[in-house]
Amino acid sequence: MTRRRSTAVATALFAAAFATAGCGFGPGEDVGEVSLTVTRDYGAESVVALRSDTVSESDTVMRMLERGADIATRYGGGFVQSIDGLEADERFGHSSDWFFYVDGVESTVGAADYPLHGGEAIWWDYRDWSAAMRVPAVVGSWPEPFAHGYDGKRRPVAVECIGAGAACEAVRGVLAGVGADVEPESGVDARSDSAPEAIRVLVGPWARLRRDPAAAQIEAGPQASGVFADFEGGGPGTRLVGLGLDGKPALTFGPGSGLVAATRRYDAPPTWLVTGVDETGVEAAAELLDPADLHNRYAVATEGGEETPLPVR
Amino acid sequence: MRSAFAYTPRRGPLQVASPGAAVAYLGALVAVAFLYSSPLVLAAVGVAGGLAGYLAGAGRAVRAALWLGLAIALPIVVVNALVVDRGATVLARLGEWPLFGQVNVTAEAIADGVVFGLRAVVVMIAFAVYSACVDPDRVLRALRPVAGRSALTATLVSRLVPVTAADAGRLRDAGRLRGPAAAPLGRAALLRRLLAGSLDRAVDAAATLELRGYSLEPPRHRFVEGFSPSSWGKSFTERGTGGPRRLGGTASRFDGRFYMAGAIVLVAAIVAKSLGADGFDAYPTVELGTEPATLALSALIVLSGLAPWRRHA
Repeated sequence: MTRRRSTAVATALFAAAFATAGCGFGPGEDVGEVSLTVTRDYGAESVVALRSDTVSESDTVMRMLERGADIATRYGGGFVQSIDGLEADERFGHSSDWFFYVDGVESTVGAADYPLHGGEAIWWDYRDWSAAMRVPAVVGSWPEPFAHGYDGKRRPVAVECIGAGAACEAVRGVLAGVGADVEPESGVDARSDSAPEAIRVLVGPWARLRRDPAAAQIEAGPQASGVFADFEGGGPGTRLVGLGLDGKPALTFGPGSGLVAATRRYDAPPTWLVTGVDETGVEAAAELLDPADLHNRYAVATEGGEETPLPVR
Repeated sequence: MRSAFAYTPRRGPLQVASPGAAVAYLGALVAVAFLYSSPLVLAAVGVAGGLAGYLAGAGRAVRAALWLGLAIALPIVVVNALVVDRGATVLARLGEWPLFGQVNVTAEAIADGVVFGLRAVVVMIAFAVYSACVDPDRVLRALRPVAGRSALTATLVSRLVPVTAADAGRLRDAGRLRGPAAAPLGRAALLRRLLAGSLDRAVDAAATLELRGYSLEPPRHRFVEGFSPSSWGKSFTERGTGGPRRLGGTASRFDGRFYMAGAIVLVAAIVAKSLGADGFDAYPTVELGTEPATLALSALIVLSGLAPWRRHA
């Protein structure tokens, strides 16, 4: 009898511990909506139309994708081999694979190991990575990562105005409008005293921005920055150069041209660049901060009111 | 009591066949088990191995291997389910565990573990049939010209396993004979005694081998001189000079059957694989292919289990 009672007590204790430790059967409770988009060739072509889905507490990027598309995996289910029949490929010295971004930030772990918390924007893209193996951040998930943060954490946003003037105020206004937690202004032409976990937004002409270590990665090419753009010359004659899929100059933009791009230095939070060859270009770039201009794009150049997705195709 | 895996001389085809033929036949089954992940094919290999064992009179070895294999397979399934957090179907959430992190049990990880476990079981069955049906002395004779010391080591190991099992039986009997009032003999005490005994036996075996001159360089034989057709089937010492021999010394009329069965199974497995058989994916969802090539191969493998069948008792 005593033994039976001990067993019953042990079972009850185990059940209580099981329940209180966040354990349970099935996928768990719903935690929110997540959007999924699947494209190819740097967002040029849609493979799976944008869709939203409710995710549960045990969901990962892989499980979300599996529900939205027909996929095949490799390495024990850790990596995606194909989506809707479009398979990772390597031929003639060019390698194409599936990459994914959560809230505009490239993941450092596999899709099966990336947990979802609700509110994320997931973007899968099939691309030739010969010119740039790593593109650490993209602008195509706007308004993420500003609205909900990334890696499951909401982050402050530090807008750094470096000779931008009116464009800077416009950027601040747009970011506040999408719900970003914008840090207070710390002075004109001064770096804001931002928190280390803050997402930085650098606003200003390229001649001023290029001194920033994160922004300067652009001059080292897409292999370093993941941005298919470069700037030629200096001073008033500065020109914006759009790079092609091979990482070589493909299109040159003249005076008044602007650029919106994102990059990342080491493991620091992403740095967005709202820049241009001159003040007019910076203002033009600031006007690009909306879903219509940025959706599913790695970076965008603008000249004379016309947007050009980067890399140039 | 003899170990279930100990070699028992019988007049069945598998026991009479040369070790080379038996190894080719059972080795082909093992090779298929490692080549394929389809549960259908693995189950077919298990059935073929079991059938071969029963027909060869090694039913006890097959049963023992089945239980031992299941004892190994169960932990494999459990560990895989706890360690691998992949797959679309979450069955249970077990919360955060030290070292493991968030533990989710998925149907796919269980299925993957079952396949690993099934492979362990079928390989154990094949090895059990080999151990119970192939004379280790003939294996030693067959391999001595090729790799004398390795053959000796392998033979000693295969002999020491049943000897240790017999020792364990004797120790258990001795423990029981102490009477009902005596304290039960613990497994730890039994293992300790067995380990000490096995070390003694190993020292004895090493001393005997040294006295017989096994540490010296093997005599060099000329492979042309001294060979005659009449020397086929004679033992190494009977022939005196060695020479080219069939693997396993004495040839048997059953050799061709086993070589043929092994070759057919292996070739069919390779051809079927190239035709797209083995349709099994555990991730992201379990998909078991039942294409004709897989079904045909499975049927062929099961039929190969009839190779040791003897028409007349």
